[in-house]
Amino acid sequence: MLAFLARRVSAAVGTLFLSSVLVFLAVQALPGDVAGQILGKDATPDAVAALRGRLGLDRPAWERYADWMGGALHGDFGTSLVSQRPVGGEVAAHLANSALIAGVTVLFAVTGSIVLGVIAGLYRDRWPDHLISTVSLVGMSVPEFVVATVLVLCFSIALPWFPAVVLYGPDASVGQLLPAVWLPALALAVVMAAYIVRMARTSVIDVMAGEYVTTARLKGLSSWRVVTRHALPSALLPTLHVIALNVAWLVGGVAVVENVFNYPGIGKLMLSSVQNRDLPVIQAVALVSAVVYTVCNLAADLGAMALNPKLRTRGRTR
Amino acid sequence: MPDIHDPRRRSVLAGAAALGASWLLSGCTGASAAPVQPGGETHEAPDSGGTLRIARPPASDAETLDPASALSAYEYLGALYNRLVRVGADGSLAADLAESWEPDAKARTWTFRLRKGVTFHDGRAFTSADAAYTLRHILDKATASPQAAVLAPLLDPGALRTPDAHTLVVPLKTPNAEFPSLLTHYNCYVIPDGGARAAGRTGIGTGPFKLESFTPAGPGRVVAFADHWAGRPVLDAISFYSVADMSARSNALLAGQVDLLSQTNLDFATARVVAASDRATVTRVKDAQWYVLPMLTTEKPFTDVRVRQAMKLAYDPEHVVKVALQGAGTAGWDNPVPPSDPAHISAHPAHDPEQARHLLKRAGHEGLAVELYTSAYDPLFTPMALAYQDSARRAGIRVKVRTAAADSYYTQIWMKKPLMATYWFTGRPVDQLFTQIFRGGSSYNETAWSDAAFDALLDRARAETDDTRRRDLYGEAQTIVMDRGGAMTPMFADRLVGISRAVRGYAEHGFEFDYLGIGLKGA
Repeated sequence: MLAFLARRVSAAVGTLFLSSVLVFLAVQALPGDVAGQILGKDATPDAVAALRGRLGLDRPAWERYADWMGGALHGDFGTSLVSQRPVGGEVAAHLANSALIAGVTVLFAVTGSIVLGVIAGLYRDRWPDHLISTVSLVGMSVPEFVVATVLVLCFSIALPWFPAVVLYGPDASVGQLLPAVWLPALALAVVMAAYIVRMARTSVIDVMAGEYVTTARLKGLSSWRVVTRHALPSALLPTLHVIALNVAWLVGGVAVVENVFNYPGIGKLMLSSVQNRDLPVIQAVALVSAVVYTVCNLAADLGAMALNPKLRTRGRTR
Repeated sequence: MPDIHDPRRRSVLAGAAALGASWLLSGCTGASAAPVQPGGETHEAPDSGGTLRIARPPASDAETLDPASALSAYEYLGALYNRLVRVGADGSLAADLAESWEPDAKARTWTFRLRKGVTFHDGRAFTSADAAYTLRHILDKATASPQAAVLAPLLDPGALRTPDAHTLVVPLKTPNAEFPSLLTHYNCYVIPDGGARAAGRTGIGTGPFKLESFTPAGPGRVVAFADHWAGRPVLDAISFYSVADMSARSNALLAGQVDLLSQTNLDFATARVVAASDRATVTRVKDAQWYVLPMLTTEKPFTDVRVRQAMKLAYDPEHVVKVALQGAGTAGWDNPVPPSDPAHISAHPAHDPEQARHLLKRAGHEGLAVELYTSAYDPLFTPMALAYQDSARRAGIRVKVRTAAADSYYTQIWMKKPLMATYWFTGRPVDQLFTQIFRGGSSYNETAWSDAAFDALLDRARAETDDTRRRDLYGEAQTIVMDRGGAMTPMFADRLVGISRAVRGYAEHGFEFDYLGIGLKGA
């Protein structure tokens, strides 16, 4: 078991290292001379050269990478080229706002879709299944910004229940942001739910066809007890992985949805930093996203291990 | 660029999201309906008081209230500050903090008589020292003001004189009869003497509103300044909100969260939705955006003046206005001076595809094929490019329209590709327009055009103190630009501005916004 744990963790660290290299290289490959892009239309060649020097763009790439990684490992992501403030604090403030959306989304999406998936699985090929499957497939197929726009039209414009956009900056309080969290969270939940619903449905169907469920039924247990005590734990196992992957997907999903709602989160920061060619911020946001992604995957693996005796004991039996 | 049409002020995503929105929204309204007409009720007199909420695109995460800065938060400036001179509704110069101004006989020295009894928000009296300080601040290299490029060749900051508290004397290095017009720029708002360092945060000026709070790229608020020299504004306060995404801005208006969208030209589909809403409506700012197809005169085949002439004669601007603007604008006829400018001349070469064909043949470019770059940066670029392509086909010119990425459009395409689509906000005084964009070697010369005779004509016009003769010379300059220049100006487009139905007294033209008179119904 320890060997398994060690293997997983080292794989995660390796992934992070590789992604940091990729992030760094991708930022180098952004179209347009960075200094020229930052200075904009009326940059003089002298100003561009001076900025290139200040940014250290005239030094070899590996040297700049080593500097950046060294700082990042100590929590120092440098200074924003645009706002001249430390990148770490800026990213943290935006990340906290996004976490608020992500938390609400996960709560909505996971509870809602597991319930729906189980219902669909239990009523396989009957109308509740057809209804749930069709609706969730539609939800999955429509891009999140369209879902977001439809939600704004319905619940901000036609029925003025929720604000259409956030009018505050990144330092807004939770109380200021809370009314604006629901629509983006719902938009993300709709897109995310479909995967979980499908997965939960399939595993419930698989499990309900299993021999031990038949045995439990033959013992005369009520169907409620069969489902909650015997079928669900096994059915949740594969779903857990999908949930973790979806939480990781959220990091990307928020980018689009946050911009529709002008929500001051990590996604909006990512977009504005790319437009401003604010390299330290782009790199920090990408790296933080990679960390979230990797940690979610790791959590899914370890969670699966904790729930699955076969995985848990594999190291010993061999 | 730190001009008001900064490429970074508009998000790339706006295109995608707006597409989604307009696709969803235009389904039920007739797609071919003419763009909306201004709502009649918004011209009634406002009630006094109330808070106006304005959604604006932030200039940058590092935006500032220093008017001279390239990153100034544009919307705040007119509310907080005054200039010496502003542009009146008819396009001529109007008094602001200067009551009158006159040149000497050669237009080498200008004397400004300043308004008395004007106070700054902190209670200090406005004097000529503040006016001189403001000019020196703009010219200071450390400020890096965009307007310094225009003013620095003309005046020496050390030579400014203040003979008394209400007189400012500005000696110029070269004669310029149009000098006061250069002070109408939005970088030229007056700050108090010695206030450069603090101006970015405190926003102390003489304007109708004083600052209550300001966050770069965030929310801010200004409140009525009761001691304003021109009287108290109609409103009690204005709240400014930064919303970078264009469709998010429209949604905020539709949901009733804001009352006015600043620096936002609604696309036709969104404009129809806004006009159909019972909370908001659309009003037009006539000819507010000047669209250009610049030909780089240093790149083949546009090095040949006959090819440039053919490119212009080949297409019909009226066709472009009809197709790309659905009629909501004015044909430009390749004259960059907007029709609202008193110096504008209406004469222009006629559309003549046959002559274009003939010129191309003589230049050895029969059946010319060119690439025209556009992007989603502005919703009108591609319709304009396609309308040009369609119209120029009659002269045998094959135009291939290529779409480039929006976020690097102004660094990778503008002034780099031989032919592309771009725009400016109108509102530059004629001398600044020619000097900044058409004079050989000037900073925004997007066609890299350099014509010694034209530059000499500009110098003569600037030095001409007789108003009629000077206007004639600027007319001649327009003729030369139409005839030999590299810029095609197919159209001036009206800006479609989204405002709440409660807004009264909205008046905006060029870079002028009436903060004093705007108000709300039932405030």
